[in-house]
Amino acid sequence: MIHTSLLSIVTFIYFASFLFYLFSMLFVRNFWGRLASLTALTGLVGQTAALIVRWKTSYNLGFGHVPMSNFYESLIFFAWAVVLLYLIMEWRLKNRTIGLFVLPVAFLLMAYASMSNISNHIEPLLPALQSNWLISHVLTCFLGYAAFTMAFAFGIIFYMQKLPGPDENKTLFFRLLPAKSTLEDLMYKSVIFGFIFLTMGIIIGSIWAHYAWGSYWSWDPKETWSFITWLIYALMLHARQIRGWQERSMALMTIIGFSSVLFTYFGVNMLQSLHNYIG
Amino acid sequence: MLKKTKLLWSFLSSVQLTIFLLAFIALLAFAGTIIPQRDLAIHMPSPLFTFLNRMQLFDLYHSFPFFLLIGLLSLNLLACLLKSFPAAWRSFKEQPSLPEAADFRNVPEENILRVTNDQQTVMKIIEKIIASGFNKWRRSDTIDGNYLAGSKGGLSLFGICIIHFSILLFIAGALAGFLFGLEGYVNISEKESINTINLTRGKGTMSLPFTVRCDKFILELHENGMPKTYRSDLSFIKNEKIVKQGHLLVNHPLTFEGISFYQASYGLINNKPGAILAIFRNGQEIQNLNAVKGDSLDLPGKDGRVSILRIEENLMNMGPAIKLSITSHEGNRVFWVFQKLNQIIESNPGIELNQVINPDIFRSYRFVMTGMEEKYFTGLQVTHDPGIPLVVLAALLMMAGLILALFFRAQKVWIRVDSDRDFTRISIVCRSYKNDAGSQREIKLLLDSITRCLDGLK
Repeated sequence: MIHTSLLSIVTFIYFASFLFYLFSMLFVRNFWGRLASLTALTGLVGQTAALIVRWKTSYNLGFGHVPMSNFYESLIFFAWAVVLLYLIMEWRLKNRTIGLFVLPVAFLLMAYASMSNISNHIEPLLPALQSNWLISHVLTCFLGYAAFTMAFAFGIIFYMQKLPGPDENKTLFFRLLPAKSTLEDLMYKSVIFGFIFLTMGIIIGSIWAHYAWGSYWSWDPKETWSFITWLIYALMLHARQIRGWQERSMALMTIIGFSSVLFTYFGVNMLQSLHNYIG
Repeated sequence: MLKKTKLLWSFLSSVQLTIFLLAFIALLAFAGTIIPQRDLAIHMPSPLFTFLNRMQLFDLYHSFPFFLLIGLLSLNLLACLLKSFPAAWRSFKEQPSLPEAADFRNVPEENILRVTNDQQTVMKIIEKIIASGFNKWRRSDTIDGNYLAGSKGGLSLFGICIIHFSILLFIAGALAGFLFGLEGYVNISEKESINTINLTRGKGTMSLPFTVRCDKFILELHENGMPKTYRSDLSFIKNEKIVKQGHLLVNHPLTFEGISFYQASYGLINNKPGAILAIFRNGQEIQNLNAVKGDSLDLPGKDGRVSILRIEENLMNMGPAIKLSITSHEGNRVFWVFQKLNQIIESNPGIELNQVINPDIFRSYRFVMTGMEEKYFTGLQVTHDPGIPLVVLAALLMMAGLILALFFRAQKVWIRVDSDRDFTRISIVCRSYKNDAGSQREIKLLLDSITRCLDGLK
């Protein structure tokens, strides 16, 4: 299928972009950074095209649906949201250093999706998934996940900033990394963005559950884990109020929060859940 | 006594308590995902299991510790609301407090501007800037300088109150649903009616004030065999009159007299397919029945007894078939009746001579299979949740509150204009509720505007 081939190419494009961000760190020339951004953008455009083709193809097959309905599609969509949010942020901040930490996530998601044990066939939807709520629920949740991925990247950079050694020994890249106070602000902003979208995603999911199963909350593992993720970030937003808990704890919390996001997305497949077919 | 109340109050409204509670609720929720809950918990007849069950380990989300944590969180939220709402109201309605000299003690150099213009001109410019950029502002002129205070973004503080209130509302709605709600399920076979449902959590059965009949169940499959659509056509009957009818589909529930029905599942009755068997004797049809495996019937006049041994949807790629055995004084005859017999004979001429598929094998009887008969039952979820309106309101308020809280920034700015040697000195202090880099940005913006305006005068 043309779209799966295109998506495989995009996987490598993201890897190339990651390499270019790495080069921009090792060799201090603007060229590599600009190339990295351009490559990532190319990948994003290609991925968007592939998704549209997949969407259209599903209609040609007779059971049309938006490409967000199974594990494969959700992995691709997650990677897409991550790169999209990252490029927007890179454009607003005019800072390319974060790409080094975000592109690998996108690449790994795409690479995992192309593994043979994950079916990439366009499958017809089960009755429970035939709903307009599908698009908004998946969209808001994954935008939330993508924002939390950004926050995680900022948290990692924060810890890198704290590495021992005088400033002169660090390469220009380290000095180009955003300052700690900026990082704190960036972590806060991405968590806020993610939190709003996660809240929306949970609310929409509950509305959908109400119409599909008669119960807006049934403590299903996926529901519970999204609640746990929500609690962790709510906790983080409150911890900021406490003097002395800022900065270092914030970075730690973005990492804990991201682990929870990963478990909510991947881990619940190991547990019994009504959500297992979505992934 | 008063001191203790003050301490209790300060504890209940503290952010530390919130953090503690959020962490413990998360922990409990986590435990519930790895310990099998309710129906999934395997019942081991052992004293350990009984003990753990008594400890509510298998129903954590309705357990005492969980309710206790939620209860404390509610108190925490209430206390915070009682504390923050008046403050938010004041900040929204009242003028900002004026600063004093002491407030400018630790102003960093980057937040100070020295200009050659006189204090009067400077104050006029700054007043204009503050008035245009801030909702509320105040000015005071004292011996040691002119002071200005401006505040804006008070909506953000309201936003936070609204978020907290929405959580309380949600807890109330969830509690209402838990205490006064109805949750059950029922299976209705096609063409049959029910007026009793099974309640979840082992609470037995409950009768409905009306009858529900499944007139028809329609199932459509995708090419790969997975269900495409399934629909139950229901009739709601009261006092032997059909009051309401409707199509019930997944994601499209039906409600009658406050009780909602959801298309949850379906299945084959007896879990096995049925078939329609027509029996002819001397060319006349004497029987037409829906047969399932295990059925048996007597042929007229003690000619024998027919038993249905098997029903297959597709036997050896030759289509649907019924395996019959006829027991009579002649012994036992076993043979298959194929639905598509004529086609089979056409493509395999001579095959009708094979005893196993000969439909005329027994005396003057002929057995014909006219089709597969799949009788389904539809599985419905039945609920009534009085807490839903509260929960819906809570969700709306939560989103509104989040938007207000996060797109507005509650900020207060204090400016002092005095003379420092030959210069007029402008010092700015900014307090923001969020305590983030936005304060510094605000100060920089103000300084830039002031500089621009003063330059424009020249």
